[in-house]
Amino acid sequence: MPKRTDIAKILIIGSGPIVIGQACEFDYSGTQACKALRAEGYEVVLVNSNPATIMTDPEIADRTYIEPLAKEYLEAIIAKERPDALLPTVGGQTGLNIAVELAEAGILEKYNVQLIGASLRAIKIAEDRLLFKDACRRIGLEVPASEVVNDVPEAIRLADQLGYPVVIRPSFTLGGTGGSIAYNHEEFADLISRALDASPVHQALIEESVLGWKEYELEVMRDCRDNFVVICSIENFDPMGVHTGDSITVAPAQTLTDKEYQRMRGAAAAIIREVGVETGGSNIQFAIDPETGRMTVIEMNPRVSRSSALASKATGFPIAKIAAKLALGMTLDEIPNDITRKTPCSFEPTIDYVVVKIPKWQFEKFPGSDTTLTTQMKSVGEVMAIGRTFQEALCKGIRSLEPHSPWRAPNEVTTALLRQKLSIPGPDRLHWLFEAIERGMTCEEVCSLTKIDPWFIRHLEDMVALDRRVAAMNLQSISPDLLLEAKRSGASDEELAKLLKTTPAEVRTRRHELGVRPVFKRVDTCAAEFESFTPYLYSTYEEEDESGAVDRPKIMILGSGPNRIGQGIEFDYCCCHAAFALKEDGYETIMVNCNPETVSTDYDTADRLYFEPLTLEDVLAVIDREKPQGVIVQFGGQTPLNLALELKRNGAKIIGTDPESIDLAEDRSRFGALLEELKIPQPHAGTALAPQEAVKVASEIGLPVLVRPSYVLGGRAMVIAYDLKTVEDYATQAALIGTLSGPKRPILIDQFLEDATEVDVDALADGEDVVIAGIMEHIEEAGIHSGDSSCVLPAVSLKPSVLERIRDYTARLARALHVVGVMNVQYAIQRDTVYVLEVNPRASRTIPYVSKATGVPLAKVAARLMTGRKLRDLHLPVVETNGIKELAVLDFFAVKSPVFPFNKFRGVDTILGPEMRSTGEVMGVSSTFGLAFAKAQLAAGQRLPLKGTVFLSVNDRDKRHVAPVVKDLLAAGLTVIATRGTAAALGAAGIEVESVYKVNEGRPNIVDLIKTAKVDLVINTPLGRESFYDEKSIRRASIRYNIPCITTLAAASAAARGIRDMAGHDAEVAALQDLHRRKSAASVAPGDHP
Amino acid sequence: MPAISEIDTRALVRHLREVGALRGVVATDDTAAEQLIAEARALPTMAGQELASRVTSPKPYRWSRGSIDLSSPVPADKTPIERKRAAGPEGNSRYHVVAYDFGIKQNILRLLVDYGCDVTVVPAQTSAEDALALKPDGVFLSNGPGDPEPIGYAVANIRKLLGCVPIFGICLGHQLCGLALGGRTFKLKFGHHGANHPVKNLLTQKIEITSQNHGFCVDPDSLPSSDVEITHVNLNDHTNEGMRHRSLPLFSVQYHPEASPGPHDARYLFDQFTAMMNEANR
Repeated sequence: MPKRTDIAKILIIGSGPIVIGQACEFDYSGTQACKALRAEGYEVVLVNSNPATIMTDPEIADRTYIEPLAKEYLEAIIAKERPDALLPTVGGQTGLNIAVELAEAGILEKYNVQLIGASLRAIKIAEDRLLFKDACRRIGLEVPASEVVNDVPEAIRLADQLGYPVVIRPSFTLGGTGGSIAYNHEEFADLISRALDASPVHQALIEESVLGWKEYELEVMRDCRDNFVVICSIENFDPMGVHTGDSITVAPAQTLTDKEYQRMRGAAAAIIREVGVETGGSNIQFAIDPETGRMTVIEMNPRVSRSSALASKATGFPIAKIAAKLALGMTLDEIPNDITRKTPCSFEPTIDYVVVKIPKWQFEKFPGSDTTLTTQMKSVGEVMAIGRTFQEALCKGIRSLEPHSPWRAPNEVTTALLRQKLSIPGPDRLHWLFEAIERGMTCEEVCSLTKIDPWFIRHLEDMVALDRRVAAMNLQSISPDLLLEAKRSGASDEELAKLLKTTPAEVRTRRHELGVRPVFKRVDTCAAEFESFTPYLYSTYEEEDESGAVDRPKIMILGSGPNRIGQGIEFDYCCCHAAFALKEDGYETIMVNCNPETVSTDYDTADRLYFEPLTLEDVLAVIDREKPQGVIVQFGGQTPLNLALELKRNGAKIIGTDPESIDLAEDRSRFGALLEELKIPQPHAGTALAPQEAVKVASEIGLPVLVRPSYVLGGRAMVIAYDLKTVEDYATQAALIGTLSGPKRPILIDQFLEDATEVDVDALADGEDVVIAGIMEHIEEAGIHSGDSSCVLPAVSLKPSVLERIRDYTARLARALHVVGVMNVQYAIQRDTVYVLEVNPRASRTIPYVSKATGVPLAKVAARLMTGRKLRDLHLPVVETNGIKELAVLDFFAVKSPVFPFNKFRGVDTILGPEMRSTGEVMGVSSTFGLAFAKAQLAAGQRLPLKGTVFLSVNDRDKRHVAPVVKDLLAAGLTVIATRGTAAALGAAGIEVESVYKVNEGRPNIVDLIKTAKVDLVINTPLGRESFYDEKSIRRASIRYNIPCITTLAAASAAARGIRDMAGHDAEVAALQDLHRRKSAASVAPGDHP
Repeated sequence: MPAISEIDTRALVRHLREVGALRGVVATDDTAAEQLIAEARALPTMAGQELASRVTSPKPYRWSRGSIDLSSPVPADKTPIERKRAAGPEGNSRYHVVAYDFGIKQNILRLLVDYGCDVTVVPAQTSAEDALALKPDGVFLSNGPGDPEPIGYAVANIRKLLGCVPIFGICLGHQLCGLALGGRTFKLKFGHHGANHPVKNLLTQKIEITSQNHGFCVDPDSLPSSDVEITHVNLNDHTNEGMRHRSLPLFSVQYHPEASPGPHDARYLFDQFTAMMNEANR
């Protein structure tokens, strides 16, 4: 059917900031959808609050709004743009929810906007647990048996009928509160009464447990002619009970017979029809009882999902792109397969390889959180690996995770503990599985403890057996056949080196002598049946190489690997931009990455895609094949940087800033010497190798001090110590866990600048010229990790003299470090002295944000500089002050705010510090700073109240400065209540506010007020470690009851200005394309801004 | 079933894709490559090979076993048709089908039973008269190996059966129908193999994902369009995948609606066959 002609303009809603469970896969899918719709001639309006996305680049959509994903802002955009249709299925759960909200509020009807891709009815059936179960039952499919109960005796009777274990889900509680699993009658009686109490309507759902059943997902598509195809089957290595986002998954399904698979396929077709998803992609989950083969339907997502992104990467079939075209009324047979060009999309991809996805967790960031894997997702990222066998893909996946997970678990654990580690799934279960096999535990026992299918366990056993055969050899005695066998089963040179008691380099040399080298195969959707035109490649040890490398100028870009806190989508954004820019400049671009969620691993992004682990061995193999003119390592964050020196030593040509310079900037003493030479101030600092030494250094520097390990990623394991005991404890701890070991890994101790303002600066340099790209003022004081801090561009409170000094230092640093490309400097300004905290001569987290705020694509410019182009030839819109060039700022404020995963880690304190814990970011844009801040807060999930009550509790330091904030709040018509001390301080300043009890002072106290919805905003600045309990419970209660909570006075002041500016204003929205249009008169020098 | 592993399968497929289907040998010992190549070269090409008579059953037999069905909540011992039959009187009709065995797949037989047929399997060379003497409600023409063109006896039989009794052909059976209706067959460069071939039903405009395994193909342009309607086409290479007679009860498909392993999208063809027999019996 030809595409629809009754619609011309389509609205797409993105998924907002990166959070656990909703990451950059929706940038990938949304970007694809935008491109697909525009390619078909439609006008696309895009809304997303996340500036770090490719989709919010002004070239991707016709009209791009970086605005909060809140109803009033969406309505304002719809009213302004008047789209004909809304495609709700490519922006994750967030995009879908807001589309439903708009439909239900009558906004879509009011402006005559049609939902395309999925109807409201279909979304409701798929999303509502009970409606979905009914739909499945109507078509004769089984779902886990369940009953809604209102009283205990009835519940017990029904639970006895269902059989134990039984799952209890109280109705209408947040985030599954009060839910549990009862394993027997006695336990159930207790748990059900608690669940009914937790439910505001005294109701619960009791459900048959499918824990331990085999878990599968099918990624399916349907078009408006009712054509149905399965794109990919995915099998979970970890059985039911572990969220699929936290499971190791394998594609295609490995342990189903064709009969079982076809039954599932038929069921999926019946479900998508019954639910009524007319066009697009859906994800449907099934559980199979390994004992009886009974199949039940678990759930469906009537939209593209994390799994569909994985399936797209696993098969080469771009689900989101095709889903967008199907929503236009096209049919699968009308859309050509990009990869073969000749065949249509109405087929089911053939997978002649195995794909393994492994999640990446970061529990170490959230001390005190429960590391048990459950039905709530906790991982922050994932890797995917492709091999010709399960073993090869698994091994490649393991080495794609960083830092390299220890292959062997410590031997000290008792058998009892080992059994427990196997039966209670945690992030390290794979290691315990190997340990169990190593110790000779039988396959049957491992399976009964883990419920993992024996097929997988036997593969692990074979891997252990092969390792033993290799370990019996040495580098000289190992036969070429055994070496090849080991490589074919996925062993890395590093693992072989351990087994053969030699070095990885020796293994590589020997391997090359024996001619054991990888070849590259193509992901082509058709198992080589048709010619493929998209070089999407993976390595394996077979005979024929299909890479088809050509001899033309080419640049290789190393990606950033799995998403993690501190190294996320921003780096992928930079890598993509490098590919876009260099493609435009006529280079062939080669991307190497292993993260399936990203835009960089879309086969459309670079000319050639190598889906490979980012290890020295794997990257060298690609370089060996492609022989690129240059390799870019400065865009992918720490991952490729860690390889830079070794790559260079092995003959790779690293372009841009020399890896030696990057290393120098990371080396404290050499860098300290450089700063001294340049006469640029830095906080006093020292290093220590032992706890006593640490105490001595700290007392010399003077308290408070910042203590951290020497290799830093997102400020891992930093603390601010106000006393020497904390320093000693930290150093002792570091020595224990090995972050402090040997002369190479001291701990670092810095003077901590209290009450300082922190500033981030991004700059471009070509080896001669420097252009300051953006001076971002942090809204929180120094001491909070820059990734967790809100910041504003242009700066709002820095004196011209300070700005001038910042520009001067930045330019001198860029020259001294011979930066070619991009550089980030962090400064702290204390009493007008500008200190350098850190220099990173590489892409930083802020590049996409600054690019969007200035309208200059920094990463593209930087990539061009790395290939030898010069700033003066690139005609950037710069202003020059005192001989230093800086990008002209535009006439709006852009505030970046972080988003935190605290709701996923209950019991963890939410106070911000030098340890980065945010997973994502949003941007708020407005003509005033206050409004931009308020919009950023709203986009990050904190809706600042325009009326109601503000609770205030600030530390003594802040008491001196709190009065203006309170005046603003009162002027905006809010009521202010405060703790006794804060109220007294305000009284002294002539402001009378009501005082309330702290938690330990009596009742009703502040937590009671929060719980009973009597507080609309909490401003609580921490006092230090002593009063932690009180503060923690206030902040926890705020999160639980979803009340905005601000923890610094600087942010409180910005919030007060935001509330003031918002009052009486309708939602104001502006498209990036308009904001970036430079009115020459409006281009003013930073600092001169009103 | 011979199966091979530990070879670079993609290299093999890419080679066949370039040069077309080749004769080959699978060796399990260390015989020298030159000798194996010589053996392969000595093999006759598939073109012109009449293999049906070599694989067909030597004598007729009855078949009455249905398929195993895993679909919950139907008990494993019940087939879908048994469930249908249990549900209403409609399922009670039974058909006697004579199935010509040119190398028949058991799952076709099982499905015929599932759809309410009693099957008599007959050898490939069984004459039309002998087949009709069994008083069938319909005749099924099976899949099978080799080139359809030399199977002249089958073509002659189909011509005789045409119009006497409803006919359903699959794969080789489809090619034989093509020849019987006056068409030609030709050999594809590397055939259709696998479980993901998209086929469009031109009557409904719907796409079926199908299982296929054939090297020869009916040339649709060679068929008399006055008598024959093309019903299915392969979306990868636009070759013919199905046809029906415009006035007489005959239809056939090139692919495998009974696929096992493979998708079940085209199972409706069995319904179509029973409906045709029902119509003829009225």
